[in-house]
Amino acid sequence: MSSTRDTLVRELYLMRFSWAMQDYPRYKPIVRELRTELTATAAEVGMRQAVADLGHPRVLADGYLSELGRPVPRWTTGAVWGALAVAAVAYLAMAYAVGTLDTIEQMGGGTLERVFLGATTTFVAESSTLAVESTFTWQVLVFYALVFTVPFLLGARVWRSWASSPTGQTVAA
Amino acid sequence: MDEPRDPQLLKGVLPMLVLALLTERESYGYELVTRLHEGGLDDLSAGTLYPVLNRLERDGQISSRLVASSAGPARKYYLPTDTGAEQLWSTARAWQQLAVTVDHLLARATPKETS
Repeated sequence: MSSTRDTLVRELYLMRFSWAMQDYPRYKPIVRELRTELTATAAEVGMRQAVADLGHPRVLADGYLSELGRPVPRWTTGAVWGALAVAAVAYLAMAYAVGTLDTIEQMGGGTLERVFLGATTTFVAESSTLAVESTFTWQVLVFYALVFTVPFLLGARVWRSWASSPTGQTVAA
Repeated sequence: MDEPRDPQLLKGVLPMLVLALLTERESYGYELVTRLHEGGLDDLSAGTLYPVLNRLERDGQISSRLVASSAGPARKYYLPTDTGAEQLWSTARAWQQLAVTVDHLLARATPKETS
């Protein structure tokens, strides 16, 4: 019978393995099978040894992915790239706003309006008020969608969706 | 002393060895690892074998059945299918031909042992 410690060791390993397997099509049955195999093997050699024999979860997942015999899109990597791109643009917009407010204040205070893709942003820097207000347009929405989508598709290597197995003619990078 | 083994050398022949051992008798995953260790592949890990078993089963070269275990949950035992048996003999013949060619080429390049 497995102890709580064994269960924790097994589940922690499987969680890391699942994360590394996210790009594998229908990976959950493999995780379930591995859980059963780990539990059964632990009854023979102990959970620590059973987990150690599997090696690093990332390497094990790479083994399953390479046995697919074809490259698969990396959706998780794409999502990380997309999120980082949106975060970078949001950071730049914030830095621009802070810099603009600081400049207005150094120049004696006042209000400044700027228009970007149809959205008007108002910067106010006065003795009692420090504010940034902006309207929202569909063009801005499209801009942010593109900022996410382009790195997402490139990071995911979306062209691999159309790649066939090595026996086929289509080859992906 | 044995030379360290290149993992890529093993990767190409592992499916054939798995089919060969399963032809001898059905086994579960960890038991196969132990049998491969006993056969001389003592640096093989379970993490290398499980993806191969998964691929062989997906390709219909081995089948599996669950067998109740006295300790722990039921274990998955594997056995070659007819397709797997055919594949084994085809791969074994190709391997033997390749081994003859490799030996022949190596014999020309390797210095002769002095008696």
